[in-house]
Amino acid sequence: MFSNKIVLCYAGSLLLLAGVITFGLFYSSVVIPVPHIVHIVVERLTGVQLLEEVPSSEYAIIWDIRLPRVLLAAGVGASLAIAGAAFQGLLRNPLADPYTIGVSSGASLGAVAVIFFQFTIVGLGAFTLPFISIVSGFLTLMLVFGLVRLSSRSMAVETIILAGIILSAFIGSIISLIISLGSQEEMTQIIYWLYGSVAMRGWSYVGLLAPFVFAGGLLLLTQYRELNAMALGEEAAGHVGVHVQRGKIVILGGASMLTGAAVAVSGTIGFVGLVIPHMVRLVTGPDHQHVLPISMITGAAFLVAADIIARTIIAPSELPIGVITALIGAPLFAVLLIRNRIGKGKAA
Amino acid sequence: MIEIDRVNGGYQDVPVVHDIDVKTEAGTFFGLLGPNGSGKTTLFKLMSGALAPMSGDVRLSGTSLLHMTQLQRARRVAVLAQETHVSFDFTVEEIVRLGRYAFQKGVLKRMSREDQAAVEEALEVTSTTSYRDRPFYQLSGGEKQRVLLAKAFVQEPELLLLDEPTNHLDIRHTFDILDVLKRWQQEKGLTIFAILHDVNIAALYCDQVGLMHEGRLVEQGTVDILQRRERLSSIYGVEAWTQPHPAVARPQLLMNPPDIKERSMSLLEDHQLTCTDEVIHLTFPRPLRTVSNGVAGEGVQWIRHFANFHVDHYYNSMSPKEDVETWLEALGCRKEQSLGMMTAVQLSQAEICMETLFGIDFLVIVTAGTGNAVDITNRQPELEPWHAGTINTLVFCDLHLSDGGLMNASMSAVEAKVRALQDEGIMDHAAGTPATSTSTDSLVIAATQQGERTAYAGSGTAAGKGIGRLVYETTRKAVRRYNGGKP
Repeated sequence: MFSNKIVLCYAGSLLLLAGVITFGLFYSSVVIPVPHIVHIVVERLTGVQLLEEVPSSEYAIIWDIRLPRVLLAAGVGASLAIAGAAFQGLLRNPLADPYTIGVSSGASLGAVAVIFFQFTIVGLGAFTLPFISIVSGFLTLMLVFGLVRLSSRSMAVETIILAGIILSAFIGSIISLIISLGSQEEMTQIIYWLYGSVAMRGWSYVGLLAPFVFAGGLLLLTQYRELNAMALGEEAAGHVGVHVQRGKIVILGGASMLTGAAVAVSGTIGFVGLVIPHMVRLVTGPDHQHVLPISMITGAAFLVAADIIARTIIAPSELPIGVITALIGAPLFAVLLIRNRIGKGKAA
Repeated sequence: MIEIDRVNGGYQDVPVVHDIDVKTEAGTFFGLLGPNGSGKTTLFKLMSGALAPMSGDVRLSGTSLLHMTQLQRARRVAVLAQETHVSFDFTVEEIVRLGRYAFQKGVLKRMSREDQAAVEEALEVTSTTSYRDRPFYQLSGGEKQRVLLAKAFVQEPELLLLDEPTNHLDIRHTFDILDVLKRWQQEKGLTIFAILHDVNIAALYCDQVGLMHEGRLVEQGTVDILQRRERLSSIYGVEAWTQPHPAVARPQLLMNPPDIKERSMSLLEDHQLTCTDEVIHLTFPRPLRTVSNGVAGEGVQWIRHFANFHVDHYYNSMSPKEDVETWLEALGCRKEQSLGMMTAVQLSQAEICMETLFGIDFLVIVTAGTGNAVDITNRQPELEPWHAGTINTLVFCDLHLSDGGLMNASMSAVEAKVRALQDEGIMDHAAGTPATSTSTDSLVIAATQQGERTAYAGSGTAAGKGIGRLVYETTRKAVRRYNGGKP
């Protein structure tokens, strides 16, 4: 059904993900042999005892600390990458990602507000922060589109990016305002949260993120044909039969949901949504049927790897993961930009 | 069948098009013409569903297009818009496959075998198979347009809407696209509704055309309505001429440039006449409107150089036209502006007459050889080989003649020539009756196109009388000279 290349892409990215997850569980200050890791995971999941005499301290490290951390990183990476791929496809712009169009900033503002004011919505409990985060992300997106509609009737993608950047800057200043109004302790807490991290979150955060990853991911994966048709432009997509308004709402809604949830559990982690879909497209081609799922897998692997670097490079201290993704992502994006230009120059 | 029923529509609350009524049979190629800003694109958007009409309805085989869902519409109507940008590096085949969006069924919406067959056919028909795996952005404008056409074809539509499908394309690619369209139209009975900017292209390919002007459809019908030149001139704001295409029965439009004031030319003074034993060569400072049956430069033309070449009695060539063109070039005349004929008559026997009759300047040159004189009414056709014994008549006049006027002038000249031959007692020796001509006579009527334009130059007009009298007199003199008598 699919070409060998595509099958290889899936196999390769899945292997990569499995590899970095295993490495992430294995590599740290306390070295735990891989068989023990496998034993612990299998035992916890199925109850089957593969080995004897695995120390219980290792259980605590693997199951309570490392595994949730690795899974959270994978979930956040997957969410940001597929959201980025969807935004780029819908807006027909390679620069679109949850950050450039303002959704992340909006989601951060919501999260920061929840942290700062320490409130919970009745009935949502611990889900207050992700809920507020998602809603404020989506509201920001609506604001961006409102701004675009006011400034140009054609909804030019350049204007969308510009409006996103303007709103991001504005929201950033509101966040700064909130931070400066807080105490020293709150300030540190919020700033560190904003840098992005998946450390010491535990299973509850994994549980928080999981439903959104599944729902949002599934929502976007069903829209691959619409996203492909959108490459022709909205009007032409309508002419081949796409219900453009509905498709846009589903895609924007799904991508905002994923971004909001990712920001809610991990803070702002940049460049994943920008760089990963680009790299994936270089290998698979632009068909969203494959770009979306492979971006998800690769994004997960990328963030797990970034987290390994973040916690080991200056061990025993840790770097914020957002710093690592930006340090890797920005130069990588520059390379892609140049490569793209050269490639097109040759073809012309 | 497509029916546009009293459609009004526009942007916001301002109607741009008013009361559009069109009804065409299935399988018709309908071309929508009109100047920029006449409402063509608005009407197009009302039909493609991009705009909702303020009133009226658009029906395809009786079903309203306005109440269909996107999916239902896409299965019956395909659209090729003016400019389509494709983002990302989609390949040609991937783009074409997008056209099957509305046909994919089931939960997984996979491409079925039927879908793939439609894609293959569309690629084949548009000759895009060979670059199916190339990225779309790498293609040239013409190739891109063919790919987008293939995408429209895979929708297997009943109706295809095209917005200037050949915009920015050169002539060759324009015809490529339209040929592909025409073939698909004829094979599949497809109805095409196209905005076209080139009136002549529309005249060649459309079955029906409509003319938009200021938001209204002011004319519609077969391409023959494009012959209404006053209407076209007023709609487009330029002076237009129509004339039939020389090879197919369709009208073509010619635009007049703004009037260029040219110095008036005197027929009798502003020419250069050279007579040698080999050629009589007459040159004018600018071309004359000419009708002739000369060996080279025949038909209705604009001619500056007129040459009557002397050839040997035994001249016999398979390619007289090439010969004459070679001789013309040897005289330094560009063949596109030259007319050449030939005769075996000694050119010293030519009769040249310059006269002003009824206030009109005329110049008439006749070389007459009557060896092959025939009676046109003789029933025995003699399929003799080409002889050089001919009467060549060249008539130049200071008149402004339409094509019909040139025809009238030709008749006047021929009538006068026949009378001259009879009065000189020239006989068809085989039939024993008075001759009307020789078997290979040539005639040239050339007009300066100065003064009042007229279609009349027959025997009832001063122009016709002048031509008749001078051709008669000059021919008689030439015939007498040829037969050794005094003119």
